Amino acid sequence: MRTVTLTVNGTPVVREVADNRLLIEFLREDLKLTGTKESCGVGVCGACTVLLDGKPVSSCLALAVHADGGAVTTIEGVAEGDRLHPLQEAFLAHGGFQCGICTPGQILAAKALLEANPHPTKAEIQHWMMGNLCRCTGYYKIIESIAAAAGAA
Amino acid sequence: MATASLTGKAVGQPAQRVDGVAKVTGRTRYAGDVDVPGLIFGRCLRSPHPSARIVSIDVRQAKALPGVHAVLTGTDVPDVCYGRLCRDIPILAKGVVRFVGEKVAAVAADSVEIAEAALELIDVTYEELPAVFDAEEAMRPTAPVLHPEKVEIGPGAVAGHHAELRMYPPIPNVISHLTLRHGDAAGALAGAHRVFEHSFTVPSVHQGYIEPHTCVVSVGADGIVDVWVANKGPHIARAHMAVAIGVPEDRLRFNPVYIGGDFGGKGSLMDTILCYYLALAARRPVKMAMTSFEELTAGNPRHSASITLRTGLDRDAKIVGIDARIVFNAGAYAAFIPGPTLHGYSELAGTYRVPNCTIEVLRVYTNTVPRGHMRSPGAPQVAFAVESHIDMIAHELRLDPLEFRRRNAIVEGDLTPLGDRRRHMRCRETIDAGASAFGWDKPKAPGVGRGVSIYEHPSGAFGRSTVLLTMDKDGRITILLGAPDQGTGFHTMAAQLVAEHFGLSMSEVEVVQGDTLSTDFESGAGGQRLTLTAGQAIADAAGKMKEALTALAAERLNCAPSDVRVGPDGSFSAFGTNIDLKSLVGWAASRGKAPFSAEGQNTATQPDVTGFVAHFAEVEVDRETGQVRLRRMVTAHDVGTVINPILHQGQIEGGLVQALGQAMSEQIVLKEGAVITAHLGDYKLPTIMDIPELETVLLPGGVGPAPFETAAIGEMSNVAVPAAITNAVFDAVGVRLLELPISGEKVLDCLNEKAGVA
Repeated sequence: MRTVTLTVNGTPVVREVADNRLLIEFLREDLKLTGTKESCGVGVCGACTVLLDGKPVSSCLALAVHADGGAVTTIEGVAEGDRLHPLQEAFLAHGGFQCGICTPGQILAAKALLEANPHPTKAEIQHWMMGNLCRCTGYYKIIESIAAAAGAA
Repeated sequence: MATASLTGKAVGQPAQRVDGVAKVTGRTRYAGDVDVPGLIFGRCLRSPHPSARIVSIDVRQAKALPGVHAVLTGTDVPDVCYGRLCRDIPILAKGVVRFVGEKVAAVAADSVEIAEAALELIDVTYEELPAVFDAEEAMRPTAPVLHPEKVEIGPGAVAGHHAELRMYPPIPNVISHLTLRHGDAAGALAGAHRVFEHSFTVPSVHQGYIEPHTCVVSVGADGIVDVWVANKGPHIARAHMAVAIGVPEDRLRFNPVYIGGDFGGKGSLMDTILCYYLALAARRPVKMAMTSFEELTAGNPRHSASITLRTGLDRDAKIVGIDARIVFNAGAYAAFIPGPTLHGYSELAGTYRVPNCTIEVLRVYTNTVPRGHMRSPGAPQVAFAVESHIDMIAHELRLDPLEFRRRNAIVEGDLTPLGDRRRHMRCRETIDAGASAFGWDKPKAPGVGRGVSIYEHPSGAFGRSTVLLTMDKDGRITILLGAPDQGTGFHTMAAQLVAEHFGLSMSEVEVVQGDTLSTDFESGAGGQRLTLTAGQAIADAAGKMKEALTALAAERLNCAPSDVRVGPDGSFSAFGTNIDLKSLVGWAASRGKAPFSAEGQNTATQPDVTGFVAHFAEVEVDRETGQVRLRRMVTAHDVGTVINPILHQGQIEGGLVQALGQAMSEQIVLKEGAVITAHLGDYKLPTIMDIPELETVLLPGGVGPAPFETAAIGEMSNVAVPAAITNAVFDAVGVRLLELPISGEKVLDCLNEKAGVA
């Protein structure tokens, strides 16, 4: 067991965690932040993407102790109160999701993209987002959504 | 009946999804997010053998592990088999295992880790038995028989017209043998000018939903069993569970959860019954979530198929008859589909004028992962074969493949190959609209090839839909329904339809999915049925509510109900006096007459309108590596009135890209019966990098069978895509692929073979 000190969506958190506790288990089970989803469990699908110090990580592979001293952003921390983030607004307006299970990961990956590159080209969006699988949309509307958010941001 | 007239204020609008804000903020509750007090976690031990006798199972050490609450084997659960039609799958293996991945024992423990540690302590001794993996081999007299005992069959094993169905005929391992005849195919082929015969193979692919099968079961002290499961038809699932566990349906409450992708794969109970027995044994609520590994190795993927087509032509290159045979490999259990076989067989003679047609369909057990339904079950396998075959015939006749299709395309007044009469047959128009947008006749560079494929399918029509509309004193309507939204946007469509019927805005309509105790029977999502059947149930309820409102208006306006006219904005008028909906309901409320409700229901009837799609693909093939690059596609659709253009386009794009996966990269690879493409690194779903430039053409003037002339779209775009691409590969480099998926390796082998021969 170790003590981890971090912020999650801006809120300070101090917890005892097992050395092998995965970040996704820490978020979903210990902190009850169930917006982060697990699917492939091997870091391929991107559904579990969260931001650690602004960078996208697969929380199904990262250990909770890796987040010690860091700042974690999950989907629950993307909107400011009732005010949606431009990416959330764009995914709504452009049909960037259907079933919604990959959407938290998509939005967080896209948020990191727009912070690194506020005006990405279509090709840059595709390169950045290739680690986030979606089975519903066929991706066209995800690209549209991110491009629209970049225009609005 | 489509009687209501369309204002377009709600239907046709790109309305925001009613589940949208929750989904983009992470608040949507899926089965995996359900937490109940005392929840523990179930995992199961699976067979490493494709066919074996279980000699002994020792669970003593597993039971002794701290944190373990229950350990079950086949002898601890009732001796029943269950299934959606064929009841052939045990809750846990009893005495024998029939595929690699079959559930042999299960543990419920305080955590997933403890449950998995306990599984490792279970000692199973197997005696391996002969196995069979190939469906043709499984039908031979010497093949090992998977299910020698009689399989119980639930209600619903019905053959359609022109069909002869035999369940469990005296052919080894055959589940169902269906023969359909219209006209005299044998005679037509015997008298044909030329006969062409080709055979095709389509491997199994996975539905690829990102959310693995997940369920939670809690047995209450009051005798109510609460279930939260990612299942697209909760009422049907409840009925099957009730039969299997011997608990009446009114004690089973399937609670609503959103579904993280379905694509046909989430219509079975999967682990739910096992989860129930774990919960009973542990006296605690239990959650079971399959891992992605389990999904890929032991889920219920699409049936693999082998198909042979024989087509006879007359001197004018017109089809005189088709004789088709398809063999579906069902794997070890038939339990996962609701019918005797896969409905895609009905497309085996394609979208053509075929006066004589015979179709033989066999569904066969093998010692491999059980197969289930996936988006338009059976149809992609069939469409790949038919649309490749037609292309091959055209090329052998030195005819333009597009012209050959046009010449034989079904037109208004024709019967379908199986003898159905439908109206609004816009097959040629769909081909032409797509070809024009695509530039079929435009010059192309060397190494570039173009291909086309076509497909026809009517809106799904089966089962029963129900809704309950309740209008409050402010004129707002709540829609209570029992069908989940697996992502298609059905709940949003329902809200738009209700808003359209009453002239309300979307903010005045709320959709509530009820549990199975609070809602009437609803067949749920599947087979693109909700647009038609739920659309009609909504229209039924709206009609009844309008009748009640009209009676109120008559009372308010002091006239007879027959004098009241209902305007498109939902207002009521008689003899020059007008009252809007809200004022009327407010008036009724003041007299204690609101809120009031109306139930709607619809039992599906086969529509006489159909839909067409034509796909066009342009590829570039690298002759050095065989690599195929999909440069662009055009997809043309003959559709009905579009309810929501964003949702509609989402179905087209999502289905098309799903089909690209089947065409280009996806395959459940089996080795000695075991799935070896066992994680998403090996099983290649399309990524955002893999999509082509895409143009969609929607034919104007659409007609549909559902209210406001709407029609289903969910299973149109994912069916015929692979053949458009393989046809384009042939056009580019003369290589004909008779098996999916297209790989650079296969193309290169064929190129080398051709070079060697030349």
